[in-house]
Amino acid sequence: MKLDDLIKLGFANLWRTKLRTVLTTLGVVIGIGALTSMVSFGTGMEKNITETFKKNDLFTSLHVTPGKINLEGLSEGDVSGLLDDSQDSQMILNDSILHSIRQVEGIELAYPELTFRAKAKILEKEREITAAGIPYEMKDYPPFNQITFGSFYDTDSSVVVLIRWETLKRMMIIVEDPDDPVRLNFNEEDQDYIILPPDSLIGKPIYLKTAVMDYGGFAFNPMQLFGTKPKLPVKEKTTTFIIGGIFKKTSQFSNQNIKGDLIIPFNTAKRIPRLGFTNIWDALGGGGENEGYSSIYVRVEDISYMDQVIRTLKEDMGLNVFAIADQLKEIRQGFLILDGILGAIGTIALFVAGLGIVNTMVMSILERTREIGIMKAIGGSEKQIRWIFFVEAGTIGFIGAIFGLILGWLVTVIANKVANSQFLPAGEPPIDFFYFPLWLILGAIVFSIILSLVAGLYPAMRAASIDPVRALRHD
Amino acid sequence: MDIIKVEKLVKIYRKGEIEIPAVDHLSFSVDKGSFLSIVGRSGSGKSTLLNLIGGLDTPTDGSIFFHGKNIAGLSRAGLANHRRYNVGMIFQSFNLIYSRNALENVTLAMVFSGISKNERKVRAIRLLEEVGLSNRIYHKPDELSGGETQRVAIARALSNDPEVILADEPTGNLDSQTAEEIIDLLVKLNQLHHKTILMITHDQNAAEKISHRVIRLLDGKIKEDKIITGIL
Repeated sequence: MKLDDLIKLGFANLWRTKLRTVLTTLGVVIGIGALTSMVSFGTGMEKNITETFKKNDLFTSLHVTPGKINLEGLSEGDVSGLLDDSQDSQMILNDSILHSIRQVEGIELAYPELTFRAKAKILEKEREITAAGIPYEMKDYPPFNQITFGSFYDTDSSVVVLIRWETLKRMMIIVEDPDDPVRLNFNEEDQDYIILPPDSLIGKPIYLKTAVMDYGGFAFNPMQLFGTKPKLPVKEKTTTFIIGGIFKKTSQFSNQNIKGDLIIPFNTAKRIPRLGFTNIWDALGGGGENEGYSSIYVRVEDISYMDQVIRTLKEDMGLNVFAIADQLKEIRQGFLILDGILGAIGTIALFVAGLGIVNTMVMSILERTREIGIMKAIGGSEKQIRWIFFVEAGTIGFIGAIFGLILGWLVTVIANKVANSQFLPAGEPPIDFFYFPLWLILGAIVFSIILSLVAGLYPAMRAASIDPVRALRHD
Repeated sequence: MDIIKVEKLVKIYRKGEIEIPAVDHLSFSVDKGSFLSIVGRSGSGKSTLLNLIGGLDTPTDGSIFFHGKNIAGLSRAGLANHRRYNVGMIFQSFNLIYSRNALENVTLAMVFSGISKNERKVRAIRLLEEVGLSNRIYHKPDELSGGETQRVAIARALSNDPEVILADEPTGNLDSQTAEEIIDLLVKLNQLHHKTILMITHDQNAAEKISHRVIRLLDGKIKEDKIITGIL
């Protein structure tokens, strides 16, 4: 008996009891729909995270910090690193270390991470932001190679700066993007936004106010005797820059590795007058001026150098290295568990559908007992009869899987739209919460067919074992 | 030459402690190309005997040789092959699949024997024409008369070109005129196509008119075995 004959026969048999077949298949459709939409949420989130890593160059990025304390040992109860002042691991990330790091094979570039808080003012709009000094070499790497408006600065000492589109929006300035028009949501509509054409901010000044020491503030003020509150010996210093470019998130997860709102050429950033501490302890301890850099950003030429570079920095140079790519393994494991849980919930629905198939097939056998007897009388073997029922069950599974995938996809499209419109502010790039990889599509079809075949196993065996003499007497 | 040889054939049905011998140590042989009628009262074991020869049922004891090969010892798959290629069965209640038309009923038997789709269709149409149903090919059984339905069943029985036709009271549900037409068709199959025919009937007189031999069963045993002379 040929496969096409079996399939044709299976379809014809199922079509005879249309309503029952449709209802049974609907069970599978819902099961597969639930399973795929749930698993696609897990895969969607995993994809978003992985793409974030890729887009932000995190697979080739490292952060180096001084090798002061053995954190791993500390978590295991080893406090010797804390007590021993004399150990040589208390190094300072100075220019000579930076130079040594740059010599390591496989390292493309390394620069100290330089960020500070400041107030930015554009078109009379002012807001506190984080400024970051980024070297000119970074212009070739994400996200700086994808500037939305304008261009990257030309030298490390330039006064041209870059600003985030999202930071401007927080400053109540919206730069129109012809590719992605901004739709303000209900809450934002009444607010006092300045809306500008795409390139109108390029070349305009931006004023950066930083805090500097005001030594005059230490002078004795007789007014303090009369209850006036003492003033901190700090004053604001304004530096003027030119906006050279604006970069905007292309997806919800891009630009994650830029720490600042405002990107300033590295040497220029170093020269900006500001306080050398970020908290009172630093200030009391003499500031961070001569303490070296707090961390160094390292970009590796290629992902294949990653392990080797980490080993050299850690073992040979005694530095602490943090590679976020290392975290991906754990994140992936977490997603595997999430997929498993979501898949298990979906599978319950599919198992219920499987019981529906068993029920339908058993009913069908009862109704078709005489027909089975006839088929045996005219030469149908047990194997052939078994296959006829197998194919019928498998057909329910296959059709259920196809429509289930369509249902799952529709559900995720709607859920995605609702989630994006409800939870994301206007102008933010949409997130695809769900993702249907090929393995999920094929897996769902195969799983559904296998489940249907398992569900059809007992009915098929029962049909095949029917005694033809009795079956022919059956009404 | 024997095509079928039955030796000490026994079929016992058990109902709890009670044993009912439906076929009781039967022995006879059937010549190739002959028309054998089996007569007897209800419960005499006629249908059981036919089911055993047709491989639908298995004997409690004894042997059934088909071309010298004992089908009593065949596996279930072997019996299916026997039903598929060696014998064609016709029943009193027609036993067609009511959801399928005449053509599909005839081709179904060929689906099991793996004949190609085109060959099946050509052969089925030819057989339906031979039984006089060329204008009823796409009719379903409930759109056909009793006689026409039985003709479809005969066409189906012939579809894999078996040597033996087993007919279990093929005229039992038909009026006398239609019954005569069906009997004529079976006689034609025997005489023109040289099919060996084993037919169960109640009507011994009619059987004697058309058969080469009539066996009368009583309580699973041969009561009378009559060779008819003068049959063409």
